[in-house]
Amino acid sequence: MGADLLNLNIIGARLLDPECGIDRKGDLYIRDGKIYFEKPEDRSIAVEDLNIPSHVIMPGLLDLRAHPRDPSHGNCESIYSVTRSAARGGFVGILAMPDTTPHADNPGTIRFIQDRIKQSACVRVWLAGCLTKESKGEVMAPLGSLKEAGIAAVTDCPFSPVDSQIFLNSVHYAKMFDLPVIEFPREMYLTKNGHAHESALSLKMGLGGFPRIAEEIAVQRAISIAKNLDAPIHLSSISSSEAIELIREAKKKEVRITADSTAHHLLLNEKAIVNYDSNAKTLPPLREEVDRQALVQAVCDGTIDAITSGHQPYPEHEKKVEFDRAPAGVIGLETAFASAFDSLVKHTDDPFPIIAKAMSMSPHKVLMLKPPGLKDGNLANLTIIQNNSKWTYFATQGLSGAVNSPIDGRSFSSKIAMTIVDGKQVYNSMACEE
Amino acid sequence: MNRWKKKSFLGLEGLERWEILEIIETAEKFLVQKKNEKEVGSLLRGRRIINLFMEPSTRTRVAFEIAAKSLGADVISISGEASSLTKGETLRDTALNVRALGADAIVIRHSSPGSPFLLSNIVDVPIINAGDGAHEHPSQGLLDIFTLREKMGDLEGKRITILGDILFSRVARSNLFGLTTLGAQVTLAGPSTLVPKEFNALGASVTHNLAEALEDADAVMLLRIQHERQSATHFPSLTEYSKMFGLNKSVLDLMKPDSVILHPGPLNRGVEIESDLADSSRSLILRQVSNGIAVRMAILYLCVTAGSKGGNR
Repeated sequence: MGADLLNLNIIGARLLDPECGIDRKGDLYIRDGKIYFEKPEDRSIAVEDLNIPSHVIMPGLLDLRAHPRDPSHGNCESIYSVTRSAARGGFVGILAMPDTTPHADNPGTIRFIQDRIKQSACVRVWLAGCLTKESKGEVMAPLGSLKEAGIAAVTDCPFSPVDSQIFLNSVHYAKMFDLPVIEFPREMYLTKNGHAHESALSLKMGLGGFPRIAEEIAVQRAISIAKNLDAPIHLSSISSSEAIELIREAKKKEVRITADSTAHHLLLNEKAIVNYDSNAKTLPPLREEVDRQALVQAVCDGTIDAITSGHQPYPEHEKKVEFDRAPAGVIGLETAFASAFDSLVKHTDDPFPIIAKAMSMSPHKVLMLKPPGLKDGNLANLTIIQNNSKWTYFATQGLSGAVNSPIDGRSFSSKIAMTIVDGKQVYNSMACEE
Repeated sequence: MNRWKKKSFLGLEGLERWEILEIIETAEKFLVQKKNEKEVGSLLRGRRIINLFMEPSTRTRVAFEIAAKSLGADVISISGEASSLTKGETLRDTALNVRALGADAIVIRHSSPGSPFLLSNIVDVPIINAGDGAHEHPSQGLLDIFTLREKMGDLEGKRITILGDILFSRVARSNLFGLTTLGAQVTLAGPSTLVPKEFNALGASVTHNLAEALEDADAVMLLRIQHERQSATHFPSLTEYSKMFGLNKSVLDLMKPDSVILHPGPLNRGVEIESDLADSSRSLILRQVSNGIAVRMAILYLCVTAGSKGGNR
């Protein structure tokens, strides 16, 4: 990572960590990368004071769904670029999806990616392995060997195993290794020709529909399997209002189900695709306003546990083609926090505690990791946010290798000021402004 | 002096009533003036129109060719199989090259919905939509409207039933948009799997009952049923379709005596329509084909002229 361990006095910010029950204005001192609430007296060197009374400091954000696809033929993203983009988005870590080429379904590929991470990552990168070989849903991947190689979760995202027996057995088998299973709920036959949310709009535009029911069926299957096996399943990228209801009911019955939604699904609805803008072709598709409202509500009440970036980079020549030929997926690491904040702020006066839970605490718990709390002596893994600071996102000025964003040119009300990973500063917008 | 300002013709959705009528009135003039071909034949003299047909087509491509030639333009037709698209060239690159070859307008037929819109963002010449996937086939929609008006005058309050595979039909969508703009009441009919109720939200009535669809209709527009393509999973067989929704003499009694029958072609005789009916006096099918040339002349003339005046998209 290169950077030195940080020494900094942060004065007057809002310190927020729901996990540790902290929410107060105060000072935080970082010495050799470690957090202290009391000013250490033992130093002779001058340490910079950062007076930031309008800022919020929270445990570092973790993204549960990013697709760096490194290695992958002809891709524009790399571990280097995706982690810079993540750092700018306030993420101290990402979970890299296994849809690389070759697939991350064997220990050799995992080790190869780990080497790249060692060489070039500036935030933590956790790896997800395939649940089934090549994510084809036919044969179980070697989950035990993958776990030994160091993966943090298994998933066939952005696909879902068609064969329910394979899925059930994979969840059962993964449970033996305490491997979190992440299901991207999508009935594959019902989404075969799906390019947009199935609605009056997709009918008008002549686009094949990706119906809500395709998500609901898969969500119900996951709930039934989780209940039957008493095994945890995390549902990725929930987009439909009916699926939320199923999850809400399952949680009431204490089924071990958790769920996330992408930040762009909280912010946008299907209207973003009128004019056939393939940069708004997301996976799953953007749905109706009623779904978007239900998602925001579900994040607020905790039915949806986590918010992800859903970061899926594609080179422009692949993405800017006929809508039904363009791959589904958009980038989002640099806008996830700001999109989530601006969506939530219309529903609640203070979105920060919800953001801290949904973007830091819950994602760590889904991966069975200890959340990076604001605790005396902890190595600093922090995200510092500047509240009420209007800024405009331009995809071409981003750090991702791709520009396929549906919110290019959009203005936001809060922004990431600094990201600190393992005691080192990896992003600082305040320095950029100077 | 025409008021038409759009240089591209991408769909009937969003066109205003006066715009639809302007094309129709221009087409009417061309139909009359055909006898005086010298004058009409020089309107687009020296203009180069390229037909980019990425999907098979007979009548639309030929009608656009005849229409362009009748206006004096030079026409080059490129088909999907014969173009570099089969070598992996993208639509964007093909279009840029076609533009560089000096096209004054591009007529495009493509399997992807929205591809004419994409093209109009890439090249600055008029783009004419000759059918884009299941989205729109606006020149067909207009010639259907033209033919209906020719037969029954103003369409305000007229009841038009469109029967068949609505879900995958661009013809149905263009007709729906154009007809409702002109005040007609459109009923979409066919099997429930091919006529989703969400079409209600686009201004149509939806029914899966053939008698209900036919009894009040002033015109019945049939669509080609294709079982071999995407709709294979949507109904059991052509035989069953024909039995349940085919137009034959036994259901003819359900229709109003003066109602007419249209079909955009190509016909599946014996499937969506009994052969004799297609050739009967009620059928306007061949009239549609002839009118198609005048309507496409009007579209080309208005758009290419607007294009050279720097008209908007």
